[in-house]
Amino acid sequence: MAKPLAKNRIMKRGEHGRSRELVLVVCFLSLIGLFSVTAFAARMYHKRVHTLADQWFNQGQSDFQAGDAKKALVDYRNAFAFSPTNPVFQFHLAQALAANGDLLQAQAYLLQLLSQSPGSGDINLALARIVARQSRTQDAMMYYNSAIYGEWTDQPIEKRWGARRELCEYLVGKGATTQAEPALIALADNTPEGDVEKERTVGNLLLRAQMWSRALDEFRGILESGANDPDAVEGAGIAAYNLGQYSKAISYFERLPKDRASKPEVADQLRMARLVMGSNPFLPGLATTEKARRTANALRVAEGRAQACVEKANPPGSSQPQPSKLASLLTTAEMQKRNWTERGFIRTPDLINPAMDLAFQMEGEAASSCGALTDEDHALLIVAQSKAGNSAQ
Amino acid sequence: MTDATIQVNPAAQSPPGETGKTGRFKQIRSIWESWTNRLFAMREDQLFLLLAVLIGVFAGLAVVCFRVAIEWTQLDLLGSSFSPPILRVLLVPTIGGLVVAFLAIRIFPGSQGSGVNRTKAAVYIWNGYVPFETVIGKFVTCALAIGSGQSLGPEDPSLQMGAGIASKIGRSLNLSQEKIRLIAPVGAAAGLAAAFNAPISAVLFVIEEVIGAWSGGVLGAIVLAAVSSVVTMRSFLGADSLFRVPEFRVVRAQDLLAYAILGLVGGAASVVFLKWIAYARPRIDRWPHWTKFLQPAAAGFLIGVIGIRFPQVMGAGYSVIDQAMHGQFAWDLLLALAGLKILATGFSFLSGTPGGMFAPVLFIGAMLGGAVGSVEQHFFPGLAGTIGTFALVGMGTFFAGFLRIPITSVFMVIELSGNYTAILPVMISTMVAFFISKRFQKLPLFEMLARYDGMILPSIEEQREQVAPVVEKAMQRDAALIFAPSDPLEKLTGSASAKPEFPLLVNSRREWRLIDREDLKQLAEDRTQTHAVADVKAKGPLPTLFPDQTLEEALQLVGDWQVLPVVNRADGSKLEGIIALADILRAFRNTPGE
Repeated sequence: MAKPLAKNRIMKRGEHGRSRELVLVVCFLSLIGLFSVTAFAARMYHKRVHTLADQWFNQGQSDFQAGDAKKALVDYRNAFAFSPTNPVFQFHLAQALAANGDLLQAQAYLLQLLSQSPGSGDINLALARIVARQSRTQDAMMYYNSAIYGEWTDQPIEKRWGARRELCEYLVGKGATTQAEPALIALADNTPEGDVEKERTVGNLLLRAQMWSRALDEFRGILESGANDPDAVEGAGIAAYNLGQYSKAISYFERLPKDRASKPEVADQLRMARLVMGSNPFLPGLATTEKARRTANALRVAEGRAQACVEKANPPGSSQPQPSKLASLLTTAEMQKRNWTERGFIRTPDLINPAMDLAFQMEGEAASSCGALTDEDHALLIVAQSKAGNSAQ
Repeated sequence: MTDATIQVNPAAQSPPGETGKTGRFKQIRSIWESWTNRLFAMREDQLFLLLAVLIGVFAGLAVVCFRVAIEWTQLDLLGSSFSPPILRVLLVPTIGGLVVAFLAIRIFPGSQGSGVNRTKAAVYIWNGYVPFETVIGKFVTCALAIGSGQSLGPEDPSLQMGAGIASKIGRSLNLSQEKIRLIAPVGAAAGLAAAFNAPISAVLFVIEEVIGAWSGGVLGAIVLAAVSSVVTMRSFLGADSLFRVPEFRVVRAQDLLAYAILGLVGGAASVVFLKWIAYARPRIDRWPHWTKFLQPAAAGFLIGVIGIRFPQVMGAGYSVIDQAMHGQFAWDLLLALAGLKILATGFSFLSGTPGGMFAPVLFIGAMLGGAVGSVEQHFFPGLAGTIGTFALVGMGTFFAGFLRIPITSVFMVIELSGNYTAILPVMISTMVAFFISKRFQKLPLFEMLARYDGMILPSIEEQREQVAPVVEKAMQRDAALIFAPSDPLEKLTGSASAKPEFPLLVNSRREWRLIDREDLKQLAEDRTQTHAVADVKAKGPLPTLFPDQTLEEALQLVGDWQVLPVVNRADGSKLEGIIALADILRAFRNTPGE
């Protein structure tokens, strides 16, 4: 409790007999002096810290660009220690951590940044890359989509396209074609016309996702714009081949320079396309003689394949041959042998269809029971599939 | 300019021949005098509050300079890289230790030792006197020690610097002895608040550990000083906390077990650390005096050796705490850092290097918390809370176990996290650690250090836990005869003769009086006009007591009364018992632990 007023006045003189007014003056002067010293010291300190932070950050940038992620990590750590609230430093530190394989730490930094700016495209994309490396497809898709629809400070269209491309690459690489399909369609739709580089990238992604028709359109678009792009020609050829458009595929493949045409995948597809085109009697515009020749050849090939297959199933000396569908098909072929000749087909073109059907059946049965087949057999199966597709339509 | 201003213009009021400058000077002087007269005419309590603000500003400025000095020294001596070159890591703390030892022993002898205990000693022994040289000594030696990598923190020195500044101001203004004694804790709170950037924790710490009681007279001044120092500090260094605290997620009831386990681990670790200090300190004190010049250097070298591989243990380590709280270390590194920091801090502290233990204690707690959290989450992935959450709670846990200040620890975590949801895990964890530490280490750290320094300061922990004997324990029940004033005299005399040893009490509307048996005897001889108890002469009214009042209070009231009535708090006319001086003395004699 306070003492009575009269008893509780402050004594006139303080320590060492100085007057109280003098003490107060000294106090205020000291306060002003200390304030000035503190302000100066704090200002110098902040300045030095900022300079050091910037120096370390710049060093980190050059080390990172030079590919030395380990050294960059140390630099970014130092920069961040001097400026722990700087989001740019933190972001780069996280990038360096991720580059050094320390995904968990990188993720911790990025998640903290994300809590401050949840709409940031950069942060979402960096997080998407990290969770993609951890094979967390759902999270990766979430972060990629947040990046695509997020805020970008510069070149937003370019950055969004890039994020979408990365998402597509990730999904295609993972074999998640169901999820990849809408992303690829959106990517193709958002690709600026005339940007050959991007169109080519999209086309290749569509090829990898086996979206042949869209891939062919994409590559055709590049070629129609006048660009003589071997990548686009090759992609268009592959897409046309897989769509069963063999003549187009051949024409694309034949436009390729030699080094490209000799690539195993291209060479195989070109050979197969030629074989299909050379063995299909149902191509429009063929002369009857040619149709008859192709039918007779197809029957011969199919019979040979079926015979070999039956013999394989019932080797010579086996006591009781196994009855099979293939054997009965062979018997049918044997019975029709007299009529189903090249001349017979010329005389009666109506025989071509049943003859080819039998050939297709024999090839189909042989493929399911004996497995591996020659290119000619394969070509016949492709023709069969193509015919089945056409009749179904 | 208006007419009014012209009127008060000193030049206009100057007598003929006096210049305008002299007149203005006179006016300033008169304003100053009137202001100071008004100021010094204030009651001392009011002036004390005003001084608290001034002390807070001074302490805040001093702490800013101190922190800048530490950082600057660290940058100049150890460099700006997170992992300095090996030679530097070894040489800087060693040479720094040599210089610090020389300064602390030869130039600033008051700079060694615990700032908390020195402030406590100022309150209880030295009448509030903290030499101002200590402020300078602490500033210089601690800045050099911490800046050169010794594993110590700036909080305890800041506390002592604040106390020193406050003491100097109080003495200079010739405050009363009582106020000078209390002004040191006010400055201590200001210093600690600025160093911690946590005013509530600082206020609680000073009340819990330095003063040991909630005193209304000083509480206001402590709060004002803490707030003004933090405001001052923030205006120079920013409002950011010493480390960024992660978001604290709401904890489910079943997760609290995980925090109890953290309390067990934190408690055990704090006991290990305390035991080591208790074992090593008296032995090191017995070494020859000349070794004191080399001890900080030896400690610096050992810390340097640790720092080659783990530079995180050097210095106060706030940035490392920050990293741990953001889950940037794996459990094994966290555990290693906790263990090595205990070693490094032990080396620094035992060598007598000036500096505080708060920051290292927070560091160890954060690392332990993070490690325990990581391991628990490995085995129970469904546990709520991040590693940062565990690190945050771990800080409070180790703080409570090591310094034995549970209330401050709980509030510190809440204040630092700014999230009230942390309270349940923190309370559970800190209490477990506190009780483990108390069970296995009798003396708390500050008391232990005070005894090594040859001082026996009042034990705050004992004070806090001491149960004062109460009236209820000493009073006699059913040992008095109670009468109403309207009772017939026959009833009084009859009862009095039936129970001759019982005092005779008269109760009227909650007022109690005592009838002397001698008076009753005389009355019996002279029965002329006495018919009722009211007519009997009775002493009183008697002071009354309640059963929960302390015996000290009873002792003050009992005076020359034969007995005092102990009444019910809800009903003053209901007698719970009676108490006499002999009962009080007997109860004091039987009270254990005195």
